[in-house]
Amino acid sequence: MVRVDYKGVTKRYEDGFEAVIDLDLDVKDGEFLVLLGPSGCGKSTTLRMLAGLEDITEGEISIDGMKINHLPPGARGVGMVFQSYALYPHMTISENLSFGLRMEKGESRITDAEIAERVAESAELLGLTEQLDKKPKELSGGQRQRVALGRAGIRRPKVLLMDEPLSNLDAELRNQMRTEIRRLHDQFGTTTVYVTHDQIEAMILADRIAILDGGKLQQHGEPLEVYNNPANDFVRGFLCKHINETVDTANRIFEDR
Amino acid sequence: MIHFVIITLLPLIWILDIALSPGNALGGTIGDSFTSEHFSKILGSDSFWTWMSNSLIVSIGTCLLGLTIAIPAGYAFSRYKFTGRDVSMFAFLLVQMFPGIIILVPYFLVMKSLGLLNSHLGLILAYCVTALPLCVWMLKGFFDTVPRELEEAAVLDGCNQFQVFTKVVLPLSLPAVAVTALFSFLAAWNEFLLALTFNTSNDMYTLPVGLASLISSTGQAWGDFAAASLLVSLPVALLFLFFQKFLIEGLSAGGVKG
Repeated sequence: MVRVDYKGVTKRYEDGFEAVIDLDLDVKDGEFLVLLGPSGCGKSTTLRMLAGLEDITEGEISIDGMKINHLPPGARGVGMVFQSYALYPHMTISENLSFGLRMEKGESRITDAEIAERVAESAELLGLTEQLDKKPKELSGGQRQRVALGRAGIRRPKVLLMDEPLSNLDAELRNQMRTEIRRLHDQFGTTTVYVTHDQIEAMILADRIAILDGGKLQQHGEPLEVYNNPANDFVRGFLCKHINETVDTANRIFEDR
Repeated sequence: MIHFVIITLLPLIWILDIALSPGNALGGTIGDSFTSEHFSKILGSDSFWTWMSNSLIVSIGTCLLGLTIAIPAGYAFSRYKFTGRDVSMFAFLLVQMFPGIIILVPYFLVMKSLGLLNSHLGLILAYCVTALPLCVWMLKGFFDTVPRELEEAAVLDGCNQFQVFTKVVLPLSLPAVAVTALFSFLAAWNEFLLALTFNTSNDMYTLPVGLASLISSTGQAWGDFAAASLLVSLPVALLFLFFQKFLIEGLSAGGVKG
């Protein structure tokens, strides 16, 4: 059972700016939660506080009922996929994948044989077996994104975090990777928190979506439920109206033909 | 293009001719005579090798000590916010704006009271102080181009702050480190004024000071001088050749996306 709870979480920067305000949010075991909102709504900050890349000013975040506010990022049992992939340019794909495993020291140390096995397994799963000895710059955008996914998942994290992982890909690859991400989620059932500003992406991927604006949670629920019962004007404008317009635009293309 | 090469090479050809001509005169037609007497004289003299070893010790020492300080300093300036950060970065540059000769006398007095005159350590310390500002700025500039997300990825992979630096940032910064190393080595290798002031004994001369001593008021050994000059330049030229790939990468760092 891996659940994540935000209780009264606030992020305030030194200059007094509040990126996230008194956030209460829960992610259920094995759930794919999408944090959706416009730029600057606090969705990335919400994710980064869970990862440990940002301090939590007030409130409490827990994974599995254990408060993690003061745990270092590496000890929280989270894996993260970055928008820019953030692969280590000086390491081969194999070294990129195994880096986190090799960092385990002491009792949790992982043997070389097991590392090799897990790298092979991940590579197989993501179709990267042929690329293991290459450097990241020799790979295409889609392949790099797969490596990033593999690196985030290879330590078998309790929670998988993704920060706009598809925004650097072209449309076709984006669709392909979207399907792939959902397939991997269905296969492993890892609790996932996914940040995006793309309404369609959120509707397709999410078990539940949480819509944020101005650092405040606007609505939290299953995609269709939110779409059918928007809680306020912001959700109506940002989600419902946007989707309706997209659908209308698509329909108009066919009508004009 | 070829004109520039000729203009650059002309003095070198001239000095090669002087080094290979018999006698210690400056005149003569290029290529009219040949002797290796100057080279054998210099290579056979104990003084030359003493100066060479002094120069090597001081230059390598400056390079190592300089990097040991400049790498963490550059990283700190690039990544951390702390009180006095901007002021100290500016102060670094401020010192560079004065001609070196202004601080020569205070320097001498400091070294004298520390008992570091006629010592390798004295010169190494002095050179580090002069070379550091530029080294720190160069490295900071490069560290600025290493994406933060890479460090965040490493932190999530379980690295602590030190490991993030040694396993991710430093390996990526090797070109810049190589350039900085070469720069501080050269600065020490070629420096004349401080070496002349701090060292009064022939045993402690570095190559530039030793070279200058060949041209004394009693007799100008131009042939020996020319041969020695070429020998002094040789290690530097070799270093450049060896580091060429790194140099181009390092100097153009940040110009292209990584």
